[in-house]
Amino acid sequence: MIEVQHLSKRYGPFTAVDDVSFSVGAGEILGFLGPNGAGKTTTMRIITGYMPASEGTVTVAGHDVFSDAIEAKKRTGYLPETPPLYPDMSVRDYVTFVARIKGVPSREVRGRVDDVMKKTHIADMASRHCGKLSKGYKQRVGLAQALIHNPDVLVLDEPTAGLDPKQIIEARQLITELGGNHTVVLSTHILPEVSQTCNRVVIIARGKVVAVDTPDNLTARLRGSETMYLQVSAPGADVTQALAAIAGITRVKAEAGGNGLVSIEVDCEQGRDVRRELAATVVHQGWGLLELRPMRMSLEDIFLSLTTEDAGSAPADAAPAATEAASA
Amino acid sequence: MRNVITIARKELQSYFASPIAYVVIGFFALLFGYFFASLIYWFEQQSLQMTPGSGPPLNINQALIGPVFMNVSVIVLFVMPMITMRTYAEEKRSGTMELLLTSPLTDVQIILGKFLGALGLYAVMLAVTLIHVGVLFLYGNPEWKPVATVYLGLLLMGACFISAGLFISSLTKNQIVAGMVTFAVFLLLWVINWLGQSFGPTGQAVISHLSITEHLDDFARGIIDTKHVIYYLSFIVFGLFLTAKSVDSERWRG
Ligand SMILES: Nc1ncnc2c1ncn2[C@@H]1O[C@H](COP(=O)(O)OP(=O)(O)O)[C@@H](O)[C@H]1O
Ligand SMILES: [Mg+2]
Repeated sequence: MIEVQHLSKRYGPFTAVDDVSFSVGAGEILGFLGPNGAGKTTTMRIITGYMPASEGTVTVAGHDVFSDAIEAKKRTGYLPETPPLYPDMSVRDYVTFVARIKGVPSREVRGRVDDVMKKTHIADMASRHCGKLSKGYKQRVGLAQALIHNPDVLVLDEPTAGLDPKQIIEARQLITELGGNHTVVLSTHILPEVSQTCNRVVIIARGKVVAVDTPDNLTARLRGSETMYLQVSAPGADVTQALAAIAGITRVKAEAGGNGLVSIEVDCEQGRDVRRELAATVVHQGWGLLELRPMRMSLEDIFLSLTTEDAGSAPADAAPAATEAASA
Repeated sequence: MRNVITIARKELQSYFASPIAYVVIGFFALLFGYFFASLIYWFEQQSLQMTPGSGPPLNINQALIGPVFMNVSVIVLFVMPMITMRTYAEEKRSGTMELLLTSPLTDVQIILGKFLGALGLYAVMLAVTLIHVGVLFLYGNPEWKPVATVYLGLLLMGACFISAGLFISSLTKNQIVAGMVTFAVFLLLWVINWLGQSFGPTGQAVISHLSITEHLDDFARGIIDTKHVIYYLSFIVFGLFLTAKSVDSERWRG
C-alpha cells in the first residue's frame, strides 16, 4: 500500500532523512519508532505530500506522491504532530470543511461527518469551537479530520503525545480498530506504543533505518544470547567461579547485597537451557536458591542499544547491536 | 471550482468568526461617513453661495461623488492590511497549512480561494457605502453611470491590494509582521505619485502609471479605459503569481 524507496531529505546541508526504504502492506499498522529529531515527521510529511523529497520515491496505493499528488492525497489521511484545527470554527463546521476539501461528494458530506464524529466520540462537542477544546478532544478532532474521506492510508504523527493515560488507552483502541480497514503508519518515540498497537516496527535513528521487524521478532532476534537472573543466599562464597564452571555459560556477573544475598546475571549460549545445571550447582554448594528466571530484553533496551549506536555502523541486520547489548 | 469556493467560504467565515470583519467594516464605515458628511457640508455651502445664473450649477457627480471615492482609496490603504495579513501567515503559524497542502487541492485553488474570500469581505465593506449613495439618489439626481464605474474601479483597486497582501502574508509566519510590511508597501504605492513629481515630466508619467490609486481617476469620471483595467488585472495576476511561487518555494525548503 505504501512503498518508500531510497528516500532522502536534506534541509540545506543537513540530511534529516538518509536513504530510507520500507513498505507497508494493506491493513497493516506500522510503527515508526525513533528518538526526537530522528526524521519521523520529515518522512511522514513526504509520504503525505506536504513536502517533496530530495531523492527517492514514495507511492501510496500505486500513486507517486509527487508526480501524481492529487490522486495520492485523495487516498491519504494525515494527523500532524499538532492537530491542524481552526480555533474559530466549530467542530462540526471544521470537519465539514475538511470533508469538502478532501473531495467527499456533496451529497455524502453530512452523513460522513456524522459517522466520523460518532466513531471518534466527538459528537457531544459538535458545536464547540475547536480552540476551546481540551488536548484530548483536539487530538480526536484531528483524527476525525484524517478519517473523514475514508482514506486507504492513515498517517499519524505521534498520535498519543500529550494525552493522559486514559486518553492514551482510548486512542490506542481506536487505532487498533482502524487497522484492517486502513493501512496505518504511526510515529512515536514511546516504546510501549509499538508493542501494543503495531504489527511491524521501523526503527529510525539520525535519519537512517536501523531495524525493520515485528515487535516480537525484534525482541527475540536481538537477544543474541539468553540471560538468566538468579538470587542466592551464599554468605562468603565465590559464586562467580562456581557458576562460570558450568558448561554453556559465557559470562557471570555477580553483585553482593546485604545478609549474604547475591544477585547474579548469567549469560549462556543461545538455545541452551542451563536452568537445571544452575539449580543443581547452587544446591550442591549448599547455598539457598531464592530466585531463578530468564531475563527478557525489553523493547526499551533494544531501542536504546540500536539508537545510541554509531549511526555509520548501524545495519538493518542487528547482530552487532545484539553483541553490544549482551555485553553491556 | 468547488474547491475554490469551499476555501473562499471558509475564509469569509473565519473573518466573521473573529473580530476582524467587524473592526474592518466598522472602521471603514466610520471614516467613510466622516468624509461623506464633510463633503456634503462643503457641497451645500458651495451651492448656497452660488448666485443663480452665474455659471453652470455644481455637478453632484464631479463635485461630490468623485472626491468621496478618491478618499475611499485612502481608507482602503489602512484597512486592507488587516484583511490580508493573516491569510497565509496564520495558517503557517497554527499548522493548518499542513492540512491544506496535504489535501487534494492545487496551490492555485488555495490561492484563488483566499483571494476571493478577501475580495468578498472587501465587497461587503464597499456595500456599506451604498447606503450613503442611496441617500444621494433619494434627494438629488446624480448620474448613475459614473457611480457604477467608480465601484468597478474600487473593486479592481482593492483586488490589487489583496493580491499584494496575499503575497506578503505568504512570506512570514507572523501576521503582525505581515500586516506592517503590507501597510508600508501600500503606503509606498500610494505616495509614489508625489515622489514622481520630482523626476520631471517623463519620470512622473512613468511613476504615476505605477501608482495603484492614480488609475482610479478615470473610473471616478465615469470612464472605463481598458488601459486602466489591464493595468489592474495584470497587477492582480502578478501578485497571485508571486504568491504561488512563494508557497511553492516554502514547500521545497520545508
Ligand atoms: N524545516 C526544517 N528546516 C531545517 N531542519 C529541519 C526542518 N524540519 C526538521 N528539521 C531537522 O530535521 C531533523 C529531523 O526532524 P523531524 O523529522 O522533525 O524528527 P522527528 O519527527 O523524528 O522528531 C531534526 O534534526 C530537525 O531539527
Ligand atoms: Mg516529529
